[in-house]
Amino acid sequence: MKSASSLIALVALLCAPLSFAQGFKPTRTVDLVVHTGPGGGSDVLARAIAIMVEKEKLLPVRLQVINKPGGNGAVAAAHLAEKRGDQNTLGLFTGVWLQTPLVSAEAKVTLRDLTPIARLVLEPAVIAVKADSPYKTLAEFIGAARKNPGQLKQSGGSNTSRDNVVRQLLQKSTGTRWAFISFPGGGERIAALLGGHVDIMVIEPEEAGEHIRAGNMRVLAQVSERRLAKFPEIPTLKEAGFDVPVVPQVRGVVAPPGIPKENVEFWQDFFRRLTRTQSWRKYIEDNQFEDGYQNAADLAKFYEEFTDRMREILKDAGVKTVR
Amino acid sequence: MEILAGLFHGFAVALEPANLFWCFVGVLLGTVVGILPGLGPPATIAMLLPLTFNMNPAGAIIMLAGIYYGAKYGGSTTSILMNVPGESASVVTCLDGYQMAKKGRAGPALGIAAIASFVAGTVGVLGLMLVAPPIAKFALSFSSPEYFALMSLGLALVVLLAGRSIVKALLAALVGLWIASVGTDLFSSTSRFTFGQMELLSGIDFVVVAIGVFALAEVMVNMEAREETQLLPVPKGLKNLLPTMQDLKDCRFAFLNGSVIGFLVGALPGGGSTIASFLSYGLEKAVSPRREQFGTGVIEGVAAPEGANNSETGGALVPLLTLGIPGSGTTAILLAALVLWGFKPGPLFIPEHPALFWGLVASMYIGNVMLLILNLPLVPLFAQVLRMPVYVLYPLILGVSMVGVYSVSGSLFDLLLLLVFGLLGYLMRKLDYPSAPLILGLALGAGMERALRQSLMMSEGKLSILVARPISAVMLSFAVLVLLIPMFGKLNAWRLRALEQD
Repeated sequence: MKSASSLIALVALLCAPLSFAQGFKPTRTVDLVVHTGPGGGSDVLARAIAIMVEKEKLLPVRLQVINKPGGNGAVAAAHLAEKRGDQNTLGLFTGVWLQTPLVSAEAKVTLRDLTPIARLVLEPAVIAVKADSPYKTLAEFIGAARKNPGQLKQSGGSNTSRDNVVRQLLQKSTGTRWAFISFPGGGERIAALLGGHVDIMVIEPEEAGEHIRAGNMRVLAQVSERRLAKFPEIPTLKEAGFDVPVVPQVRGVVAPPGIPKENVEFWQDFFRRLTRTQSWRKYIEDNQFEDGYQNAADLAKFYEEFTDRMREILKDAGVKTVR
Repeated sequence: MEILAGLFHGFAVALEPANLFWCFVGVLLGTVVGILPGLGPPATIAMLLPLTFNMNPAGAIIMLAGIYYGAKYGGSTTSILMNVPGESASVVTCLDGYQMAKKGRAGPALGIAAIASFVAGTVGVLGLMLVAPPIAKFALSFSSPEYFALMSLGLALVVLLAGRSIVKALLAALVGLWIASVGTDLFSSTSRFTFGQMELLSGIDFVVVAIGVFALAEVMVNMEAREETQLLPVPKGLKNLLPTMQDLKDCRFAFLNGSVIGFLVGALPGGGSTIASFLSYGLEKAVSPRREQFGTGVIEGVAAPEGANNSETGGALVPLLTLGIPGSGTTAILLAALVLWGFKPGPLFIPEHPALFWGLVASMYIGNVMLLILNLPLVPLFAQVLRMPVYVLYPLILGVSMVGVYSVSGSLFDLLLLLVFGLLGYLMRKLDYPSAPLILGLALGAGMERALRQSLMMSEGKLSILVARPISAVMLSFAVLVLLIPMFGKLNAWRLRALEQD
């Protein structure tokens, strides 16, 4: 399987100059639009991609990061929608781009209104408690939540964030409930757990890594289909006895609507080549992301499924959906 | 002893010619970025990230940190000269800084801003060096009820920012709180007061409102009264442009106040330099014997907030370097930089990379000295800006305001908002409503609402959580005391009158 995909990559690599000759090729600096300000998750990934593209000489032109913050992703999505037919603009989307239009009537641009290019990464998560917490397994935590309904607390992001989605799914499948306390910044969420003000949190594995190594945090389960390389001892949700769907945190690339088909082919191919480079693999490994490459057609399908499932989960969580 | 050895090692790193050079580049860039409103340190650091990839990590972190604290020095310049707050932390500086400039004391205002920044910036580094681990522990003990109490204390300061009428000040603060509630609610994902505008989904940027009600309103009011406008007085001679001994004496407490408040609030992951600067200004005013002159151009009204926002840098680096927890946009991107270079910021960062940590600490001592030397000679230069005739100065202020707002988000919508808030500020001036309470309400509103709702979710709806925790209870009592200050004043006046009648 693995050798087959690398063979495909090799073939793609060999054919690349050929397809360049007849198809589309960017001629001026390409804008990569992100929805966060400098320093946000998407911004950092976009800049890392720009550096890799330069280092591996993957494009004849430069890739430049454009920050369009605001509207919880809606401003960046609308910016791309306005650039209809623009051949030198791409956008780096995340789950927020998919969720905001579901809950905010003001955010009118969905991924369906843009041109899907490629999915790049899936971000797994782990469920963590403070090191001196009485809960040694997720089952123990759920048991405690059953005994004291609504008493235990989880820190996380907004109520549409993956943190809350994982909680909703677990609550529904076990018939328990605990409180979800929203904090705007990741730092505050971790501080709330380390300060002993909440009992549990869903956290990115790389963020948790150093706190575990320092003996401040303990991981109960991983929100992922397979065990992560750096957490070989920790059960996945399913292995821990909780058969709930694993909701991925996704990042990928879209383009403005109305661009020619050969552009889509060029870009999906370009991003596949990017995800096969040494620098990309190292980046993925360092950040403990999963390689989530999908081409344009698969991404469009993924989007539909993801949106339907998300709508259900949000409805269950009592969140008003507008689309 | 361990600290001395570490510091010795750190200076060995920081004094390497290459690192010294990067330190200088960083503080120079920081100063420039700070002076330009809008373009802040996070954007600058993000743009420079690709360049740091081939650098030695020590040199790179020294340079990026230099941009961070260097920008805090420059931030006050446009506040003082043009009433245009360059960044959220220098909004408070407008209150007395611009009034000083109007009285011909722009030089001393700029000078004291640099000196206070140096003093408090250095104290902040001292704090980072000496008490980082215990302070980080203290910061973790802070939770939502404590944040709510801290912000209540901040909001109570509204009575100190009031002009003649307390009622008008409270109304203005309410409008500020309302503006803070615009956007998507974090807890329920509901849109509030967005009027169908997707740009409003993420709320209204603090800097847009501040520049509108301060700078734009100021220009409009002055244009209207054009017959009376005259050039702002700028005294000649370097000596008249720098703070006097008396000025420095007046600021003794402000240096201490700014240093301590800035460092402590900075170390809280939910704190930030805006809150730090407001709190230190409020404290300065509350204890000052010439309280009633604040807002008319007293020098300690510039020194305290400018000091606080510099000391905050040292504080903000505490949770970042000891726990790997960023508390603000700038520390978040510094964290991202460390990760990109292959480090793992977290509780083990300092013990495992002592050379990097101590090199950074030592470079910050050096950088602060560089900044003082760099900024003081700029004072006479910048003071000349005010020699410009109004038909040049006002368009310049307008231009600087617009560029500043546009460069924060790159959106025309924000320019429209700027105009709206300019008009609001103008109306408030005409109707004699103070604008500082509005800004205070806006700065604290969102965080205060969040902290209250988080607290109530933690306690299952019991308000007692706010007073049951000691730190929170103490701060809330202080808030009540602050609210009573005007009443003390009234009581005192009444007592004096009674004495006279006797």
